[in-house]
Amino acid sequence: MKRSTRALPVPSFVVRWLSGFGRASAVTLDHAGALGILSAGIAKAIVQRRVRSKDVLRQMYIMGVQSLPIVFVTASLAGIVTSQQGGYQLSQTSPAYLLGTLVVQSVVLELGPLLTAIVLVGRIGARITAELGTMVVSEQIDAFEALGRDPVAILAAPRVIAGVITMPILVGFADVIGIGAGMVSANLSTGLGTEAFLYGARLFWHSWDLFYGFSKAVVFGLIIPLVSVHMGLRTKGGAAGVGLTTTQAVMFMILALLIIDAMFPPLLLQ
Amino acid sequence: MINYRNIHKAFDQPVLEGIDLRVDAGEMFALFGPSGTGKSVLLKTTLSLIVPDRGDVEVDGISVYHGGPDALERVRRRVGYVFQNAALFDSLNVYENVAMGIPEEELARSAKLDVARRVWSAIEIVNLEPAEVMAKIPVELSGGMRKRVGIARAIVGRPKVLLWDEPTTGLDPVNTAAVERLITRLSEELEVTSLLVTHDVEGGLMMCDRVAMLDGGHLLFCGTPDEFRTSPDPRVRAFVDRAAAEAALDNGTNAA
Repeated sequence: MKRSTRALPVPSFVVRWLSGFGRASAVTLDHAGALGILSAGIAKAIVQRRVRSKDVLRQMYIMGVQSLPIVFVTASLAGIVTSQQGGYQLSQTSPAYLLGTLVVQSVVLELGPLLTAIVLVGRIGARITAELGTMVVSEQIDAFEALGRDPVAILAAPRVIAGVITMPILVGFADVIGIGAGMVSANLSTGLGTEAFLYGARLFWHSWDLFYGFSKAVVFGLIIPLVSVHMGLRTKGGAAGVGLTTTQAVMFMILALLIIDAMFPPLLLQ
Repeated sequence: MINYRNIHKAFDQPVLEGIDLRVDAGEMFALFGPSGTGKSVLLKTTLSLIVPDRGDVEVDGISVYHGGPDALERVRRRVGYVFQNAALFDSLNVYENVAMGIPEEELARSAKLDVARRVWSAIEIVNLEPAEVMAKIPVELSGGMRKRVGIARAIVGRPKVLLWDEPTTGLDPVNTAAVERLITRLSEELEVTSLLVTHDVEGGLMMCDRVAMLDGGHLLFCGTPDEFRTSPDPRVRAFVDRAAAEAALDNGTNAA
């Protein structure tokens, strides 16, 4: 029997959609594969003790100490806004001490880790991508390799280790500042005393909440430097390429943080 | 000494298509060709900075791509690479940049004083004053000084082979002449094999024992400078004439 060679009448928007989906899938797989290889390289460098503690400490200083002022401002504002809005909503319907519960739970579970991470995306992630991207386009990464040095051990691993260590410390700091600012704000705006605020905070407190918040911090502390290093090392095309890659990296990091943040409640709060 | 065998490399388009080239020990060899013909790509395949799609490179008898896990490391210890824009590490000062040229294991077992002596000597060899430049970071150096520091970093590891990627690009005529004299002197004094990728055709022809020309992904010419100048191949002739015209234009511009 003779087979028909006529093509099926597929609408052009379907073809476009399918080819776009195919391209996006290929790019995603490419990034995933490269991230896997980078992660393996970092793990290998750590296991083989090829990461200099001096480099890690330097990165911890940049990520941690230098980020303290902006984290302080962000956490304070987050605590104040939560307290003000919570006070407004609870004042008519619930006991005032529940404001302590609301502020502490919001800051520890969500605002502390997520806002600190978003601040670090802008301050550290963009910086790492731009720095490594510039090193790529100016052949400094090639120079490392030509000199027999491993850029992953020298550049990537210290940043990732520093991120994992520093982020929980910054989140702890942000939690304390955010709760403190929320407590002061509650006192000034609703007249809620410290004892009542702390009573509300303790009322629904679980130690698990702290573990939950710090777990997020560790994961965010891994994701930010890992993605920013990965994007930086893939930079192409001169100064314009550095700008483009940095923008993409910030976008990917924020998207990744929000997706991971959304995955935490079903995994750890059930 | 360096043996490129059937090197193929394509990015979006084929760049190198079956390049076979041999550079003998102690030779100074220049590679010419129009922009975008893969000269720097070929140079980078020597140290696996760019991996060819097909083919192999041998350096001092060691196969880069089929020599086993340690081969690349051994090759990199034998080769010094001078990058087009020096590729100095921005965050390190001149001393630290040059010291990076000493292999890691040598650095680990050397006394600090020995390392300092080697770095000092390498900086002196490239006609810089060590006491003046050692503490400076790259951004504080002129273009010519950066190139020299890049050369010092390439020679401090006592390589057997030096690869030069456009060493005079972006330099004024005075610095170009100075760097060319330096290349010749280093190749003789250090008794290294030199492979030079350059746009400066006249300079390359004066300095080198043999030259080759890449065009359209193929090796168009390989021979002595005299053979290159008198080559009957119209594409070589056109390239030589164009290079001479550009050099004359440059000289006129600089004179004005």
